[in-house]
Amino acid sequence: MNVWLIAATVLLLSLLPCGLVCYGRNSSPIDRLISFELASAIDTLVFLLLAQGFGRDVYFDLALALALLSLAGGLVFSHFMERWV
Amino acid sequence: MSVRDIVVALLLFGAVAVELACALALFVVKDSFDRLHFLGPAATLGPLLVVTALVVENSLSTNGVKAILTGGLLLLTGPIVTHATARAARVRQFGHWEPLPFEEVDRD
Repeated sequence: MNVWLIAATVLLLSLLPCGLVCYGRNSSPIDRLISFELASAIDTLVFLLLAQGFGRDVYFDLALALALLSLAGGLVFSHFMERWV
Repeated sequence: MSVRDIVVALLLFGAVAVELACALALFVVKDSFDRLHFLGPAATLGPLLVVTALVVENSLSTNGVKAILTGGLLLLTGPIVTHATARAARVRQFGHWEPLPFEEVDRD
């Protein structure tokens, strides 16, 4: 276990508050969207750290794809949250 | 343990601390607009520290460049998504994006 994997493991813990907000009874849809966006940013960093920790070059592409797709996902969700959801 | 290892460990510690603090603040704060503030450091400062650690470790190899691209993308798109979310929250709350009559707007 190297420092990259330790950082990725600890970083995964920060997904817990995001999940609690997302599934909280008093959370509004916007709160859930915000926690989803934070989780996307954290996940991207976790993928970067895991790629370095496992020494697999190909995993870096996964982080890059997630960074791109989280932009699209965030924009689509926020657009629909404005009026229709 | 070399100086490079220490620098990498410090950068990663900083990144993890920032992300954890933002996630905990998101849970503690209750207002949606206040919660939006914590997307900023999580999408800018955290990626900056992680990418710096990766570049220190890999220099400008293929992995280093991919990490820079990923971090740059997060830095660029984070504020855009945050703004879109704030706009959506305001439209949901007031029905429109324009300022309310009692809100002072400096148009200069």
